[in-house]
Amino acid sequence: MTQWLEWLSDNWTIVLVPFLVFASIYVIGLWIRILLFRYLGGWHSWTKWRGHQAVANSTRRPILDWFILLGAYIAVQVSALSAVYKLLAGLIISSLFIISLAWVVANISDKLIRLYSDDENASKQPTRIGVNVSRAIIGIIAALGILSVWGVPVSPFLLIIVVILLVIGLALRDTIPNYISGLQMSSGKQIKVGDFIKLDSGEAGQITAINWQNTQIKSLQGEDIIIPNSKLARATLVNYGRPLKKATDPFHFYTRLHLRELTGLKAGNLTELVTILKDMPDAVVYYHVHHFLEEHLFLAPEPANDFALWISNTLGNDILGERLASIDTFTLPNISAVKTRLIDTIEDYLRNNPDSRKAPEEEEFHFVRSISFILPTPYVAHDLGEFVEVLRKVTIDSIYFHIYEARLRLQKGTNDFSIWISDSLGEKELADRISNIDPYVYTLENLRSRIIEQVEAYFR
Amino acid sequence: MIDQHHGQSTAKIEDYEPIVGRGYIEELRLLGARLSGKTIQNINSTYVGGGVAEILSHLVPLCNQIGVDIHWDIIKGAGPFFDVTKKFHNALHGKIETLTEEEFALFMETSQNNLRDLPLYGDIIFIHDPQPAALVLKKKEIGKKWVWRCHIDLSDPDPKVWGFLHNFVVGYDSAIFSSPNFAQKLPIPQYLIPPSIDPLSDKNRDLLPETINSVLKKYNLNLDKPMVVQVSRFDYLKDPIGVIAAFERVRHNLDCQLVLAGGTASDDPESITVLKDVRERAGNNPDIHILDIPPNSDIEINALQRAATVIMQKSLKEGFALTVSEALWKKKPVIASAVGGIPLQVKNRFTGLLVHSIDGAVYALRQLLTNQEFAAWLGENGHQHVKQNFLITRELRDYLLCFIYLYSSGDVVYL
Repeated sequence: MTQWLEWLSDNWTIVLVPFLVFASIYVIGLWIRILLFRYLGGWHSWTKWRGHQAVANSTRRPILDWFILLGAYIAVQVSALSAVYKLLAGLIISSLFIISLAWVVANISDKLIRLYSDDENASKQPTRIGVNVSRAIIGIIAALGILSVWGVPVSPFLLIIVVILLVIGLALRDTIPNYISGLQMSSGKQIKVGDFIKLDSGEAGQITAINWQNTQIKSLQGEDIIIPNSKLARATLVNYGRPLKKATDPFHFYTRLHLRELTGLKAGNLTELVTILKDMPDAVVYYHVHHFLEEHLFLAPEPANDFALWISNTLGNDILGERLASIDTFTLPNISAVKTRLIDTIEDYLRNNPDSRKAPEEEEFHFVRSISFILPTPYVAHDLGEFVEVLRKVTIDSIYFHIYEARLRLQKGTNDFSIWISDSLGEKELADRISNIDPYVYTLENLRSRIIEQVEAYFR
Repeated sequence: MIDQHHGQSTAKIEDYEPIVGRGYIEELRLLGARLSGKTIQNINSTYVGGGVAEILSHLVPLCNQIGVDIHWDIIKGAGPFFDVTKKFHNALHGKIETLTEEEFALFMETSQNNLRDLPLYGDIIFIHDPQPAALVLKKKEIGKKWVWRCHIDLSDPDPKVWGFLHNFVVGYDSAIFSSPNFAQKLPIPQYLIPPSIDPLSDKNRDLLPETINSVLKKYNLNLDKPMVVQVSRFDYLKDPIGVIAAFERVRHNLDCQLVLAGGTASDDPESITVLKDVRERAGNNPDIHILDIPPNSDIEINALQRAATVIMQKSLKEGFALTVSEALWKKKPVIASAVGGIPLQVKNRFTGLLVHSIDGAVYALRQLLTNQEFAAWLGENGHQHVKQNFLITRELRDYLLCFIYLYSSGDVVYL
């Protein structure tokens, strides 16, 4: 003991200097960690990056460890130890640092994979495989690093690893795209077990399992269908979220064509127009209220009824034209009500504003009757999934029939789609949503898209 | 089966699918199936030449391809008979013609000969224009359904000739006209079926830029200068002089060229005089090109229309003026008079500009030559309008509906 104290009193600098160096670096490390995390906090509040917490939690403690290792390394180097011990201590400290770094990187990688696959417990197979693969890669790199530090040649190991990876790659060449697709779908939250999906290739059903290679769905007919993830990732699919209800009665799509019959009657001024209009059957009024919409279905917003258009453009009476254009056909129950409103509007105007303007020759208003032909199409929908699919491909005439013709001319009060969705599927809320769409403010193509959007949004 | 003895279009019904959609063709087939068991017999006066023969040469094969049993026959008649029917044609168009009792008698005599010689075997006998109109006299004897298709502008017919023809027309089950303006007060149903263009014909199909350029070079047209084009035969009613007047006023401020492309017809001696007057009116103006284009130059007409910046149809009187639909199909902004069937094709400020005078034409030309976006918008709308309403598939569909309706009634027919 006395010898020790004597030695320490003679060589106190040999002990104190390394200790001070180690302690200083530890303090500096503490200080740098505080600064670093303060900076990271600011960066996170700016970027809102979801992975911030994973990085922070995984590095808070190890950063200090690394400074301890750094301190130990420098302390050894300034100590009075022999060169051999210094070298040995350097190798050990470097190896510990590599192990610690690999641990931290693996930890961050695990957390990020789980975070982006939305799978905290890595219960999904693609996530589990992703975590394991990343751990293995980091472990191999760390091992190679340690070997390299200890002076063991790593080239042969690298060569062996490359060969093994090539062999695995070749063996799994069909599987890897499925796995990557599975990861993409998991991370994109596109689908999850329990969702009802429909692919553009026709397969439809509820997802019962998603694994690293394929996705399994159960069709409405009870069949199990296995779809490779790579195919699923490439497909256009509709995710209805929950399982689709079967309709008590299927919806049969019809189409409507029309033939125009010339009445041979024409009006050259407002008085003639209203006089003839009074005697015209509903089929004539129906034609002139919907004619522009049908013939110019690409124009939006389309001009109003023929009467408003003729009075504005041909007679040059913009005031009355505007009044007739503003008649809200959507709020009127049937075509007789539309006719009454048209006649009342013109007569009201004429009472206060006698108008003798005449249409130029050949620009008179010709009364035309519309004859509708209703014929079935081959398309039938048993649920809303099929309904949307068919709605995408029927002709515009079919949509026209089920929306306009059903409501106003066949006097059903609402459109055919809403009646079916309410009565046969019991989805009253969705039926009302579609019923509330004013078809007179859309082009027919936009109307088609709007209905599809409503159905898909309802299931999301 | 269709008769194979006349030159018919080789287009297949499937060829129209990329243009109108598969659903549209499916609907045609459904309608065709509804006419199963019925034979339709078209009758007109010629297999070749003239608008009716051209329409039938396209429609008959297409009808056949959707499963309709359709045939096409013609009446026979000597030269003097067709001289009379030519006078009928002109008189119905509103031209002053003098027709004698002998000429009416000749018409009846030829009609009687055809009634004797021409087998009338169709369940639906579809008669085109006035020449075979009197065949309906056989209806009392053989029954069947009879439809008269009037391809002529009847907006202002000669009362004497129309009165004569009216006696036959009232015997039909229904009549078809191309425009509401042409409708008459008749005791039979009249249907509106506008004519159409064939998007696959030489006159309307897409052309390679090299083809267009070679036509422009052939006629010494400036490839870099905006081009105002009017395509129509040389006829005062097409107002080529008015078009030149409008162009000259626009040319003061805007660098552009005018092309009046048309032909002269051997059966229309006046066209030679009109062409001479037009050339005189144009004078030596290097920016005015008067092109006398021979008949059947469909690709050349197509090229000129496709090269145009603006297309005009400033007629004083018109039939249906399908040249307007041809221009709109090529997405060209159109300036046209509000006459005949033009207002059906051009909705003012939506699918083109309608004008009523030279002043109006000048204003419209200035607007379109200086507002390229507006011009392009009108052209795009016009293209969509024609696609929806003036293609041959629509005309075919209308005829099928008309035939089906011969056996139905009411405002709504469930098929």
